[in-house]
Amino acid sequence: MTAAPAPRPALTRRVAGSPGARLASRRLLAAIPVLWGVTFLTFVVMNLLPGDAAQELLGANATPAEVHQLQIELHLNEPFWVRYGQWLGGLFHGNLGSSLASRQNVSAILGQRLPVTAELLLYAFTASILLAVGLAILAARRPNGLADRISMAVSMIGLSVAPYVLALVLVYIFAVRLQWFPAIGYVPLSQDPVANLRSLTLPAAAIGFPLFSVYTRLLRADIVEQVQREDYIVTARAKGVAPWRILLRHALPNSMFGLITLVALNLGTLVGAVAIIEPIFSLPGVGAILIQSITNHDVPVVEGIVVVFAVVVVLANLLADVLYAVLDPRIRYERSTS
Amino acid sequence: MSAPLPELLAPDGAIQAQTARPRARGRARNLRIWLPASFLILLVGACFLWPLVYPVPKPTGGSILTSGLPPLSPGHIFGTDPVGNDILSRILYGGRVSFTVGFSVTAIGLVIGGLLGMAAGYRGGAADAVIMRVLDVLIAFPALVLALAIAEGLGPSEMHVIWALSFFSIPAFGRVARGATVALRERTFMLAARLSGTRGPRVILRHVIPNIAPQLLTFSLLGIGVAMILEGALSFLGLGIPLPEPSWGSMIAYGQQTISASPDLVLIPSAFLFATVVSLNVLGDALRERWGVR
Repeated sequence: MTAAPAPRPALTRRVAGSPGARLASRRLLAAIPVLWGVTFLTFVVMNLLPGDAAQELLGANATPAEVHQLQIELHLNEPFWVRYGQWLGGLFHGNLGSSLASRQNVSAILGQRLPVTAELLLYAFTASILLAVGLAILAARRPNGLADRISMAVSMIGLSVAPYVLALVLVYIFAVRLQWFPAIGYVPLSQDPVANLRSLTLPAAAIGFPLFSVYTRLLRADIVEQVQREDYIVTARAKGVAPWRILLRHALPNSMFGLITLVALNLGTLVGAVAIIEPIFSLPGVGAILIQSITNHDVPVVEGIVVVFAVVVVLANLLADVLYAVLDPRIRYERSTS
Repeated sequence: MSAPLPELLAPDGAIQAQTARPRARGRARNLRIWLPASFLILLVGACFLWPLVYPVPKPTGGSILTSGLPPLSPGHIFGTDPVGNDILSRILYGGRVSFTVGFSVTAIGLVIGGLLGMAAGYRGGAADAVIMRVLDVLIAFPALVLALAIAEGLGPSEMHVIWALSFFSIPAFGRVARGATVALRERTFMLAARLSGTRGPRVILRHVIPNIAPQLLTFSLLGIGVAMILEGALSFLGLGIPLPEPSWGSMIAYGQQTISASPDLVLIPSAFLFATVVSLNVLGDALRERWGVR
């Protein structure tokens, strides 16, 4: 899935030199309205909801005067546009504001919690991609063979199971019954790397298994199609290249394009998975605080998390496009000569 | 068995594939359609009709005297939950809620997202750009945040869960419908229709919809499963269908608290949810192959 080769004005061609840089800058510009839309939509949704942070924080027993007092303190009495403008102004200076509930700086909250979530996602992605590549190659070696049938069945399970069901079943088998892994809790990496990995294994499996299934299906289908259809595979076979080598060196690199796109797209949808899986395992990541902040109408914290994930999604998609150009000379040259 | 859609409407490759197929593999493929389809029909029938014709205990208001019975207890095949409700009955009534949410969310996505996507893909130009930008924002936006905020703001109820989850399905269907429509736009019959002066809405009704229907329908089957899973996700966050009314998702979510003592409270509804979604996915895959949808 490549960006459409739309005719570009001469101006952009002069701005940046290398095709990769040109592509990157164009995509970054296109991402700005999307990012703005995401922050604005979050603000609108959070403000349209009945009730506000002052009410939620003080509880049902608070007198109207107390609520009004806190509203003034938190600047909630100011009009919507003023609050959004102030927040957006702060964003341009790298200031995400402070939590309405804890008065803590949003950047500080994120700094504390993002590493946990990042490590969890990194673990899940790395494991699922590595396993998917391995299984897909095994499966594609003989389509409709035993390995292929097993891989299809396993990935159908992964596609159909709800992440929270998977998490609970894993907890029941590996934590309650076998007691191989802890059911809940988080050990920081700096404290004990082995215990850290053990504490993240079950949640990473719950998030990673569905990803692994999608990637396996995609890679397997793509490799099989290439092997059956593409001339360079026929050429390689005619030259007497070993079957394994054809799969690994000729077919797999071409199939990585689809995988890269999918990984980049998946990143955005994982906020939801994180928000559900982290609390099940009592992990101190951004998931739990996101849910809590939505319930408390704590707009700055919600905005902070949404912005971070949106930026990550945009950057990941950008990186995927640039990787295309790096990996595939055809894309590179087509762009530089057009 | 005849194809559910007339051959003429299927994309080019499908006709060829059907005649060229060896008989044994054809039978295996038919099985992959009929097995999940009949399971789903049976299950939907059981959830919606069985309680009407056969006396099933009420799913709510159970007695404390029969609380916490294990599976295979007399009168309660799946046992009872900690407040004494019959689990089988909760599975049946909960299935109604889960299927209703799944079907409604998908239908809303199919109609609204499908129309937006077809309009964008057929008209092109500014309309396309605006509609797709909005859908882009909705896709980049973590939809769960939106769904949560809506469920939280409107209060928990079945109707609100359906509207909240539609924010997932509308942009997804919009994307698929637009992609399929754009692929059709340059085909000769579309050009012929336009040249003969057919109006836009009529072209969409007579030419676009029949041609993209297979793709949208197979996507819908996957969508129903996703919506049923997401309904449970909202329950996990305490914003789904309110107690005591059951849904499969909320049964799993509330069973979580006692998973080490009585795992069957989680495992039984999980098994039903899983079997349903597997059937939907296998059926979707098989139909996609049969209709030659990419």
